[in-house]
Amino acid sequence: MQKFSFNRRLVIIIVCVIVSFALMTVSVTIRNKKSTPPLVQQFGNDIVGFVDRVVAIPTNGLSGSVSSLSELLNTYQENQQLKKQVSELAQTKVRDQTLAKENKQLKKEISLNSSLTDYSAVTASVITRTPSSWQNQVVINKGSSAGIVKNMPVMSGSGLIGRVAEVNKTNSKVELITDNNDTANRFAVQITTKSGSTVNGVLSGYKSTTGQITMNNITTKAKINKGDKVVTSGLGGVTPKGLYVGKVAKASGDDYGLSTKLYITPATDLSDLNIVTVAVTKQ
Amino acid sequence: MYRLSKLRFGFPVGLFLMLLIDGAISQVFSVHMFRAPTAMVSHLVVLWLVCGAIFEADSSAFEMPLARWAAVAGAIFDLYYTGIFGIYIFIFPVVIYLTRLMVAYIRPNFLSGLLIYFIDITVVEALGYVASRAIHLNDMAGSTFLVNTLGPTLAFNLAMFVLLYFPIRWVYNWLR
Repeated sequence: MQKFSFNRRLVIIIVCVIVSFALMTVSVTIRNKKSTPPLVQQFGNDIVGFVDRVVAIPTNGLSGSVSSLSELLNTYQENQQLKKQVSELAQTKVRDQTLAKENKQLKKEISLNSSLTDYSAVTASVITRTPSSWQNQVVINKGSSAGIVKNMPVMSGSGLIGRVAEVNKTNSKVELITDNNDTANRFAVQITTKSGSTVNGVLSGYKSTTGQITMNNITTKAKINKGDKVVTSGLGGVTPKGLYVGKVAKASGDDYGLSTKLYITPATDLSDLNIVTVAVTKQ
Repeated sequence: MYRLSKLRFGFPVGLFLMLLIDGAISQVFSVHMFRAPTAMVSHLVVLWLVCGAIFEADSSAFEMPLARWAAVAGAIFDLYYTGIFGIYIFIFPVVIYLTRLMVAYIRPNFLSGLLIYFIDITVVEALGYVASRAIHLNDMAGSTFLVNTLGPTLAFNLAMFVLLYFPIRWVYNWLR
């Protein structure tokens, strides 16, 4: 009798492990291949997301008041610095507007409707974050009803922070670029060097010890300087051109010494996200 | 009498609340909890489940359908937080099974509960690590996992156990 029950327990454990792996494989495949999760999952996520919004209101309010209190302490210094920057910014903005207008007219001349740089921004707020140490994901409060499609780039503050990994009706999951998993979609980026040449490459991962993004598959041997700006190149997929990623921190040979590997300091603090912007491109 | 007590509705509500608070804590304190390279993962939902198993053994008056609710919580965790179905839906019931096994040998109180919770969190994190390694969600080495994830996570969750054990016991007693 004892032996029988032991065997039964073993069978149950083995069946559970097999079912678990089957489910994981299926859901990873769906995540990689399909543009939206199954309807049941979407529906469930929408409901949980709705309840979570109610829970998130008091906690986010609390953290907002705490952070505003701590920010009050260095407001004066910051104000001084920002005033200087604003006066410079006004000039840049006016010039930017003029250029954008000119650009629009020129596009009209050659009857070019949309180019790689065109996108509209959808602002969303972060509801919650995945409590997991390897899945760096946040859930945002905009979904397919706001025009969000899988793989769209997401920005916060001044720079790129990740891409949309899963879309439900009213919320979606954003996988941050700090996530190192194998299936993560990599961004195609480019650097315009001081000499004027363009270097293309692909963001390949994140080095957590230094907090830097790595860039691989670099096309040329052009000299890249520390501090060169990295932007998305708009090649291959739904990412528009010209989203700021960060600055080059270090250039070195890759693990096998065959090509160059770059380390990029991200433009924004990737662990502190409240409001994000999804770059929606016309498809 | 589980069927007649307030616990029948109070337990799932508390479970669901803890599940969502986990995410809220991770979001609000993300700067402190996910400061690279270390990561502290909040597991309040496991705390709620383990406390359920401990108080159930303590009073020995009724049995709660803990494993079933653990599977439900795991399913929601998988769908809503990770998007990969099939990991925590099995890990949470395993934790309940383990805890029930342990409270059958050790008479649970605050201190032995702390030890039981230590083992449970280690099991949750280790199984989660193995599963995510198997489907290539992470490329962390085992030693890195022990130092950067398991250590801080244990520290955080044991602190939460110390802080929340008596409040949760009060809630369970009130619901009974």
